[in-house]
Amino acid sequence: MPGNATAPVIELTALTKRYGATVGIEDLDVTVGAGEVFGLLGPNGAGKTTTLRCLVGLLSPSDGRVRVLGLDPVADHRRLAPALGYLPGELRLYPELTGQQTLDLLAALQGAPVPRQRELCERLKLSPADLARPVGEYSRGMKQKLGLVQSLQHRPAVVVLDEPSEGLDPLVQETFFELLAEETAAGRTVLLSSHVLPEVQRTCGRVAIVRRGRLVTVRSVAELRQARARRVRLVFADGQGARPLGAAERWSPRWDGRRVELLVPPDEVVPAVRSLLAELPVADLTVEEAGLDEAFLDLYRSTDREAVEGEEAR
Amino acid sequence: MSPGTVSRRLPLVWLALHRRRRMLLSLLLGMVVFETLIVVIATTVPPTELFGARRTPPGAFKAFSGSNSDVSIASYPGLLGAGLTHPFWIALQLTVIGALGAAAVAADVESGTIELLMTRPLSRRRLLAERAGALIAASVLLNVAATLTVALGVAFSPKLRDAVPEGGVFTAGLLGCAFAFCLTGPVLAVSALSRRRAHVIGAAVALGAVGFALNFVALAWSPAEPLRYLSPFHYYAPGDVLAHGGVPWAALGVLLGVGLLGLLAAFRLLERRDLAI
Repeated sequence: MPGNATAPVIELTALTKRYGATVGIEDLDVTVGAGEVFGLLGPNGAGKTTTLRCLVGLLSPSDGRVRVLGLDPVADHRRLAPALGYLPGELRLYPELTGQQTLDLLAALQGAPVPRQRELCERLKLSPADLARPVGEYSRGMKQKLGLVQSLQHRPAVVVLDEPSEGLDPLVQETFFELLAEETAAGRTVLLSSHVLPEVQRTCGRVAIVRRGRLVTVRSVAELRQARARRVRLVFADGQGARPLGAAERWSPRWDGRRVELLVPPDEVVPAVRSLLAELPVADLTVEEAGLDEAFLDLYRSTDREAVEGEEAR
Repeated sequence: MSPGTVSRRLPLVWLALHRRRRMLLSLLLGMVVFETLIVVIATTVPPTELFGARRTPPGAFKAFSGSNSDVSIASYPGLLGAGLTHPFWIALQLTVIGALGAAAVAADVESGTIELLMTRPLSRRRLLAERAGALIAASVLLNVAATLTVALGVAFSPKLRDAVPEGGVFTAGLLGCAFAFCLTGPVLAVSALSRRRAHVIGAAVALGAVGFALNFVALAWSPAEPLRYLSPFHYYAPGDVLAHGGVPWAALGVLLGVGLLGLLAAFRLLERRDLAI
C-alpha cells in the first residue's frame, strides 16, 4: 500500500485547472480521511469532473497540489493506480467488446486479481448472458453497472466515482448504496461527485459544494441539515396574488395564487415572521424544515448575493 | 487462446487488432487480389503493348512504376513496381496507418475510453508502444501479403523470373515496410498530440497523397526537381529494386530514420499532454 496510513488519503491544496482562458476549478482545498465517503456536490459545469480527473492523473493541475495516498497522481501514476478504482462520469466503452471482454481487458490492464468480479456482477444483476453480449447493445443502466463492477472488482483502497447512480434503476441503486457502505466498513475511502442530493444525503459523511469552479463550503451532511433553511408558507386574507414583499423579497418568494413560499435562514425565521404578520394581511402561516436540496440552493443563493454585493461595492 | 480471449500480456495490441480484425482481413484480401491481377496482366499482356506499340510513356510515369532512374512502366519490373506504388496499394497502406494510428491515442481521447485505460497502472509509454506495435504488425502483414503474391507470380512465370533479379521482390517488400514505417512515425506523433481521429486520418492521407503528388511533379517538371527529396516516394522505389536488384541502403535509412523521429516525437508529446478533454 503506497503512502502513510495516518496521513489524509486525499489532499487537494489550492488546486487550479485552467483550459486556456476557461477556468475548470480554482483554488480548491479539500482533505479526505481514510474510510470516509466524501461527496463533491454541484450543478453541471461546476468543476466536479475536472477535480476528479486531476485526482486520478488524467489531467495535470495548472496550479496547486494533489496528493492521493501521499502520491502525485500524474508523476507517481504507476504506483498509485493499483490502489485506485475509478468510474468516469460519461462512461464510454468499446462497443464491439462483450461485457466480459471489457471486464477482462480492464483487469488485464490493472494487472491484479479481480476477486470480486463474479460477486459484483451477481449483485448488480449482470447475468452471464448479459456479459456475453456486445456492450454496444447495452442500455445506459447496464453500462453503468459494468462501470461499477470494473471500478470495484480489484478491491481498490480509494474509489473515485463520478455521478455513480446515473441511469441505475431504484433496486440497483439500493444495491449500490449497500456496496458503498461495505466499502467504508472495510476502511476504504470513497469520493463521489453528484448533483443528486438524496444520493449524497444517503451516502456521504461530508460534502464539498462547488460552484463555477470555486469551493462554496465543506460541511458534514449533519451540519448542512442543521443549517438548512425553513420553508415559510403564507396565505393572504385579501384574495390578491403576487405583491411586493419588501425586505422578504430576498428569500426568493414563489407565488401560487394568493399563497407564497419563502426559504428563510433559521436564525432569521422569528423576526421574518413577526415582520410579515405586522405588515401583511396573513390568513394562514406554516413553518417547516426544508430538505437538503433547499439548503444547497440556499448556499448557492447566498454566494450569489455575496458576489453581487461584492460587484456593487467595487 | 481463442480470438475472443483478452491477451493478458499485450492487452492493448489485442484490443487494437481485435476491434479492426474484419477491416484488416478485407485489406489483406484486397492486396492479394490486386497484386495477383498485376501479375496476371504482366504475364499475359507484354508491357510494351500496354501503352501502345512504339510509344514511350512520359518520363514522369516513372512515378507510377516506383522508379527514380531508368525503369519504364512499359517493362516487367516497371509493371510489377506499378503494382507496389499504385494508388490502390497506397490507399490500402494509408487505411491501415490512418485507422490504427488514430486508434493509438486520439480516438480514445475523442471517444472518452482513454479514461478507463489510463486510470490503470499503465504508463503512457506502454500505451503508445503497444499501439505502435499493433500498427507496425498490421503494416508488415499487408506488405508481406503483397510481397508473397508478387514473389509467387515471379516464381511461376519464366518471363518475370528472367526480368526480375533474385531477391528483388523481397527487397521491394522490405522497402514497402520501411515506407509504411516512414508514414507511421509522424502519424503516431499527430495521434499523440491530437484529440480528434479526423486529424490523424487527415495527416496520413496528406502525407501519402501530397508525397506522391510532389514526387510526380518533381519528375514531370524540372524546376520542381529538388522537391522530390521531400517525398517518401523518392526513397521508396520498388521499380528500381525489381529491375536492378541490390538493397538501397541510403533510401532505407531515410525512410526508417523519418519514421523513428516521428515515433520519438510521439512518445515525447504523449508524456506532456492532458489525457481527457
